[in-house]
Amino acid sequence: MTALGWRHVYRWDLDKTYLDTHFESLRKLARIPFESPEEKVNIPGSAALLRELCADKPEEPPARVAIVSGSPTQMRRVLEKKLRMDGVVWHEFHLKPQWENIKRGRFRAMRNQVGYKLPLLLRSRAELGQAVPETLFGDDAEADAFIYSLYADLIADRIELGMLRKVLTRAGAYDEEVEESIGHLAHIDRADSVETIFVHLDKRTPPSRFRMFGPRLVPVYNYFQAALVLFSRRHFGSEGVVRVTRAFLEADGAGPDELANLFQDIVRRGHLPEPAMHRLGESMQARRDVAGEQEVIRKCIQRFGALGPARAYRPPAPPANADYLAMWDRFKARP
Amino acid sequence: MGGDHGSSEAVKAAATLSLERPDLHVILVGDVPELSPVLDELRYDPSRISFRHTPQWVHPDQSPKDALRERPEASIFVACSLVAEGEADAVVTSGSTGAAILAAAERLGRIPGVRRCALAAVTPTEQLHGPHGDPFALLLDVGATLDVTARDLVVFAIMGAAYSAAISGNERPRVALLSNGAEPHKGPREVVEAHRMLKESVDLDFVGNVEGLDIPKGTVDVVVTGGFLGNVILKMLEGFGAVISDLAADAYARKFLWRLGLTMLSSGLKQIQTVMDWEQYGGAPILGFAQPIIKAHGRSRSRAIANACRVAAKAARSEMVATVQRAVADLPEEVA
Repeated sequence: MTALGWRHVYRWDLDKTYLDTHFESLRKLARIPFESPEEKVNIPGSAALLRELCADKPEEPPARVAIVSGSPTQMRRVLEKKLRMDGVVWHEFHLKPQWENIKRGRFRAMRNQVGYKLPLLLRSRAELGQAVPETLFGDDAEADAFIYSLYADLIADRIELGMLRKVLTRAGAYDEEVEESIGHLAHIDRADSVETIFVHLDKRTPPSRFRMFGPRLVPVYNYFQAALVLFSRRHFGSEGVVRVTRAFLEADGAGPDELANLFQDIVRRGHLPEPAMHRLGESMQARRDVAGEQEVIRKCIQRFGALGPARAYRPPAPPANADYLAMWDRFKARP
Repeated sequence: MGGDHGSSEAVKAAATLSLERPDLHVILVGDVPELSPVLDELRYDPSRISFRHTPQWVHPDQSPKDALRERPEASIFVACSLVAEGEADAVVTSGSTGAAILAAAERLGRIPGVRRCALAAVTPTEQLHGPHGDPFALLLDVGATLDVTARDLVVFAIMGAAYSAAISGNERPRVALLSNGAEPHKGPREVVEAHRMLKESVDLDFVGNVEGLDIPKGTVDVVVTGGFLGNVILKMLEGFGAVISDLAADAYARKFLWRLGLTMLSSGLKQIQTVMDWEQYGGAPILGFAQPIIKAHGRSRSRAIANACRVAAKAARSEMVATVQRAVADLPEEVA
């Protein structure tokens, strides 16, 4: 920890959240360990966004970046080099001890995400020693939405230990993982610290499937949408939005119309408040050096007007009914 | 928006297209608070879809003229305005045909020389057509203009041939008038008169009159008739398709031997079913307007609407309207 502590903790998953990893087929899966850092491909905008989030701010403590990935520990060298190439600074980097799991015959742990990620998140939180606000990034390929929401409500003291035991057991965690989670929880100052959970819709899962987790969880199709939400919550200024937008315009082949449509989508789903949009529009109008980005904002304003009354903002909030046992069943039952 | 199954089918079509056709951008015009939850239940690519809100729509029982006066912001009028203003390239609707025509006339305008528009549908045929061997011919008008003059029929023939050339690549399609006999004097007065004009004054591959039986045979590429008769024929063909399918299902359920026979014929029957399946043809262009407008069947489900959007994209990219415009610009003096 720094002398001043941390201003915010950003927790990221890697595969399908930060990196565009394909393990849908055995052939693609087999290729992953042999990919060089240069061959690893980012999810559009992920590196630009993470750089904005961890950038130094004058007179503010630094942001902390914690990475919890399901990739095996053997990938550490390649992944760290990739992150360094992207200009990303991190403070924690956890990879899954798959070889250890094999040696100990813990075959269920090789696939199980809940029993792996939750104790790690809680341990990291306990080690922080202070109630720093957090923003979490995951994807729709595994159980990130569930794990992050459960974690957020655990550290906010909204879930009883008995319920936690039942949930973890139902989710396939080993007894030692259950006890480890409960042990870490005892060392955490309970606070409602998780501000937002972003779920990157890599599989284009319908957004309605995440409604059970409440508006604290924001499903996003790419990091332009996440950048807009983070701007509205003052994680960075309009400069940050400009740089993320530029990453899309220059590197990812998106045009102003596509970005404006993505903007309309995130507003329509209730994740962007109107004043933030005006704030962004005003700050962009004053600038003369960002013609491309201004075109995007102009189209965004048009799309905003075209939505009519369908732009009711839903401020971040935990699930209305945090019955995680029922939520796990519903989450796993999704088609 | 609209159609017998509600606007949710259009939303589903947009979601499908957003994933399958990255070259298209669908603007959904309608009541966004009603449409929005439908989209959230689906897999879609948001970069390919946008909304334009309007709470008004034309009720199926409402006269289009009343609708235009009372609901100037009805979705079909707004959609046509978006095309007129260059925000979109084509309109697709499964709502009221009358409202679509009125909205297009008001907001898109007609091609100079065209007084009445025509709805051009494709009908499955035995013979193949054009350089790509399409298993269908064009039938127009199928319901846009109920009372036609000889001049209207001539313009329809010119527009139909131009559309066929633009979309199917059939540079000189064979065109015929629908009548009750092949002889030039057969048929109502306007058909006889149109026959004469097409024969004497118009540069088309006009083969004369054809009878109803020639439509499924596919003896010509473009069949021209008035909207009343065209609509009756189109619906009858659809009815035949449905009845054949029902009869086959009934036979399958009744006797083991019939079931065996149908199973042996299944691949052939499937082929017939595919050709007869109107949903695969999507929508029918309303020819005569200065921008593309595609009318999908009122009973369209999402698949048919998605196919209608594909037709619209093709019409916009192939400069179908410009081709029709050029053809109509050369109207002979007698017709003009």
